[in-house]
Amino acid sequence: MAVITLPYKYLERLTRTDKKTILDKVPLIGSDVERIEEDHADVEFFPDRPDLFSPEGVARAMRGFLGIETGLPAYPVKPSGIKFTIDPALAEIRPVLGAAVIRGVSFDDESIQSIMSLQESLHWAVGRGRSKVAIGIHDMDTVKPPFHYIASRPSRGFIPLDFKEKMTMDEILEKHPKGRDYAKLVKDFPLYPLIVDDDDHVLSFPPIINGERTRVTIDTKNILLDTTGTDKRAVSVAVNIICTAMAEAGATIESVEIGGVQTPTLAPVERVVSVPECAKILGIHLTPQSMAVLLEKMRYGATPEGADRVRVQVPCYRADIMHDWDIFEDVAIAYGYENLESKPPATFTVGKPSPVQFFAEVTRECFTGLGYLEVMPFTLTSEDVLYTKMQRTESPGVLHVMHPISIDNTVVRTEFLPLMLEFLTLNRHRELPQRLFSVGDVVRDCTTHQQAAGVSTHPDADFSEAYALADAVLHELSIAYTVKESADPAFIDGRRADIIAGGKTIGVFGEIHPGVLTAFELEHPVAAFEFDLRAVPGYPGL
Amino acid sequence: MADLTQNEKRLLATLEKEKKADAPHIAAVMGATPEAVVQWAHLAQDKGLVSVERIATTELVYTDEGKSYAQDGLPETQLLRFILPGTQLADLQNHAAFKIGFGQLRKKGLIKVEGTSVAKVPETSTDADEAALRNPIAADPKTKELIKRGILQECETIRNVIAITPPGLALAQQGLDLREETGTLTRDQILSGSWKTANLRRYDITKLPKKAYPGKVHPYQRIIGEMREILLDMGFTELYGSIIQQSYWNFDALFQPQDHPAREMQDTFYLKETLPLPKGYEKVKAMHISGGDTSSTGWGGSWKEEKAEQCVLRTHTTSLSIQYLAQNPNPPVKAFAVGRVYRRETIDTTHLAEFEQLEGIVMDKDVNFGNLLGILREFYNRMGFESVRFKPSYYPYTEPSLDAEVYVDGIGWIEMGGAGVFREEVTAPFGVKYPVLAWGLGVSRIAMLRLGLKDLRLLHKSDVAFLRETPAYRKSRGGV
Repeated sequence: MAVITLPYKYLERLTRTDKKTILDKVPLIGSDVERIEEDHADVEFFPDRPDLFSPEGVARAMRGFLGIETGLPAYPVKPSGIKFTIDPALAEIRPVLGAAVIRGVSFDDESIQSIMSLQESLHWAVGRGRSKVAIGIHDMDTVKPPFHYIASRPSRGFIPLDFKEKMTMDEILEKHPKGRDYAKLVKDFPLYPLIVDDDDHVLSFPPIINGERTRVTIDTKNILLDTTGTDKRAVSVAVNIICTAMAEAGATIESVEIGGVQTPTLAPVERVVSVPECAKILGIHLTPQSMAVLLEKMRYGATPEGADRVRVQVPCYRADIMHDWDIFEDVAIAYGYENLESKPPATFTVGKPSPVQFFAEVTRECFTGLGYLEVMPFTLTSEDVLYTKMQRTESPGVLHVMHPISIDNTVVRTEFLPLMLEFLTLNRHRELPQRLFSVGDVVRDCTTHQQAAGVSTHPDADFSEAYALADAVLHELSIAYTVKESADPAFIDGRRADIIAGGKTIGVFGEIHPGVLTAFELEHPVAAFEFDLRAVPGYPGL
Repeated sequence: MADLTQNEKRLLATLEKEKKADAPHIAAVMGATPEAVVQWAHLAQDKGLVSVERIATTELVYTDEGKSYAQDGLPETQLLRFILPGTQLADLQNHAAFKIGFGQLRKKGLIKVEGTSVAKVPETSTDADEAALRNPIAADPKTKELIKRGILQECETIRNVIAITPPGLALAQQGLDLREETGTLTRDQILSGSWKTANLRRYDITKLPKKAYPGKVHPYQRIIGEMREILLDMGFTELYGSIIQQSYWNFDALFQPQDHPAREMQDTFYLKETLPLPKGYEKVKAMHISGGDTSSTGWGGSWKEEKAEQCVLRTHTTSLSIQYLAQNPNPPVKAFAVGRVYRRETIDTTHLAEFEQLEGIVMDKDVNFGNLLGILREFYNRMGFESVRFKPSYYPYTEPSLDAEVYVDGIGWIEMGGAGVFREEVTAPFGVKYPVLAWGLGVSRIAMLRLGLKDLRLLHKSDVAFLRETPAYRKSRGGV
């Protein structure tokens, strides 16, 4: 999520209203006001609206929403006469380039900070951590056009931003903090992307770092924007969002010629949308006229067309408009969620529990009836708990998560008993007897199924108690079973039994082995029982 | 008048005659031990029926050493008896009492040592000491000397003198039921009818017995159960499915782009296992790349089969909803699931890597966004939250999207869950032609509010005391 700092004075000047009105209404366009400070507010916007990641963008949207200035904002672009060449060798490395000239900027420390944080937010939301899009902003008066986007040998050097010494690009990847952060995006290529001016001065080593030469300061008047990446649409959106934000701040935008094409145009995209379709999805009454008014509030250009259509001009900075329904959502926002009629659907349907949950409920009833208390252990655990402490060999079906968060969360549980013993460890200081059960999902191979387990601990817990528990639960679930001497090393030899039903081993019960008790730091005997719920007759096949 | 135990009654009856006596005497009369009598007397004293007077007296008694001296004489007396004219010091040294007695003889000046022989000092004796030994008097300095020497010791004895008080006497004179008390009512008493005359012991109802702990479902499970019941009542079909999902069903089928940050290793638990893609996956692929046959542009770029085949621990139960829709593309569909979902988060008091999610969908010919608000309002109202409001939000697979907030007294508006209409990009590849309303909520948020938990981990690593003490039913106030 992007949290945007909105300085009140600047925001009020751009929006042309007071901060209270703005902050009261800004959640209604889709945001959370995180903090209200003396001179600014921090507001969180959703990742699908990178056009709102700057005070300029927020002001533009709020002017529309508050009715101060509606309809499509105009962003005239004239050619700068500047050209950019692209080295064909970049085709496999980082092929897409977008650029623009932004003239007549007037920076102070705050507005430099604001443009830098817009740039960072775009790197995150649109650029996918700079892999898809990386943005460079340069003081254009320090370099000489035309500019060249080239594939360069890694041994070439320049002075990177925030450094005083010349470094080769390989050194930058090793030593510069940004180099280390983003090295993975380029280091496997034989040549690295580089932007130079006509005198071969380095502007930028995308997507890593700019050169120190073109650093933007409060004295900067004209900006060259470079945007490189792997995805044409994403690069273009990033250029449009920055250019229109700067235009909102008072700058003029000029296009650059790349491969014979003038870019950016900052022109809207047209869509003709159906009014009845929108009305039907939202559950409101709409005419082409009323819908156009709502859309203009959201800064679209909108013209009623015929009886049931609206021609919509989507502003160039709206990265999120992929489908007509995206426009319909804006109609709903302009209409106001609080004004929508909330009424459950009328169709009659009958509720039906999942059979798996039904059997889990019956199992709960059996255990609670026998005085057992339900616990709900985590499903992520470790081999140590599941197997080592249990003296068991690792289940062949156990799934290992690839990047566990900690050594306690490396595998998905394959059974419950080890987790139940962990519970007893946790509750050693609590009054005995303790009788606990659990029912729920376990996973073997890629299959999830349900098992249930019960443990009882107190000075007299023994095999007979486990047997009686198993017999009671299995009887209540109509599982016809036989028993046979078990070889499960988690239990004491001669005090353990496998449960056989339908020719398969479906569970085990007995007295936990003292070695296991010791491993779990338990001091009293434990009678234990676990079984597979799939043994219940009529259980759903999964 | 408080209830009397059988023993208190017997004591009163005895005292009615004896009036006042010490405990051993009463014990002898009652055929009990003095200790028991004192205990009963104290109980009766609490009720004002008897008085117990504790009298401590000090007696002088012989120590073990003193006992032998009382018989054989003090060591100095024994030595004096042994000394005859001409007795040699060496002979005296062989006497058993020499060690203690000789010093005493010297100290008291009873003997004289002349060269190697010893002699009595005339006109002296130990008679006064012996008298003090046999008839000790506490004030006698000789007796005090014997105490100091460890021959006599002071011994405190306690007498409990028990007397009936006027109210006790009045009660006793009214007549006491002295029949033997019955503790546990027996089968014999019931069958023979002797229970009619039996004196059933009365219990002190203010005294709590040893606690009994019922077997119970987990308080969290109870909340899950409540939500399930509400949705079943509202006509929803419950879904169940695997924890392990293909990326295809968890992400791709929900139009989540392959380069979406939520799909990265930092946020999702991946497994090395893969599963083959289902038939017809090409429609999903086309949707991602170009928007298929809809008005969508798609995400553009490429879409890789290998990425979709990879298995993950499901990050939401929406993966179950979309599979159910794919199997049931015809209206009406109303379904929900509650299940464990996984996010690769660092675990702390308010974040877990696994938690329960409740998720529901409604697909029908004429359903709309307003109906979605209606369903949510109804659900939260039934959960006890009277005020519900909605605001715009963003989810990758719904459009329009919203967040639902409920008002909780003392806390304010709390975000409860997200919802929206499934994007056409999600539903179209599966032949679903009508809008799908979908919503999800984190069950643990409500559990935290209801159970007053400060640490979410306690839901899964529970203290047995917490489980025992949390009542099965609690009156809900405004949903919490």
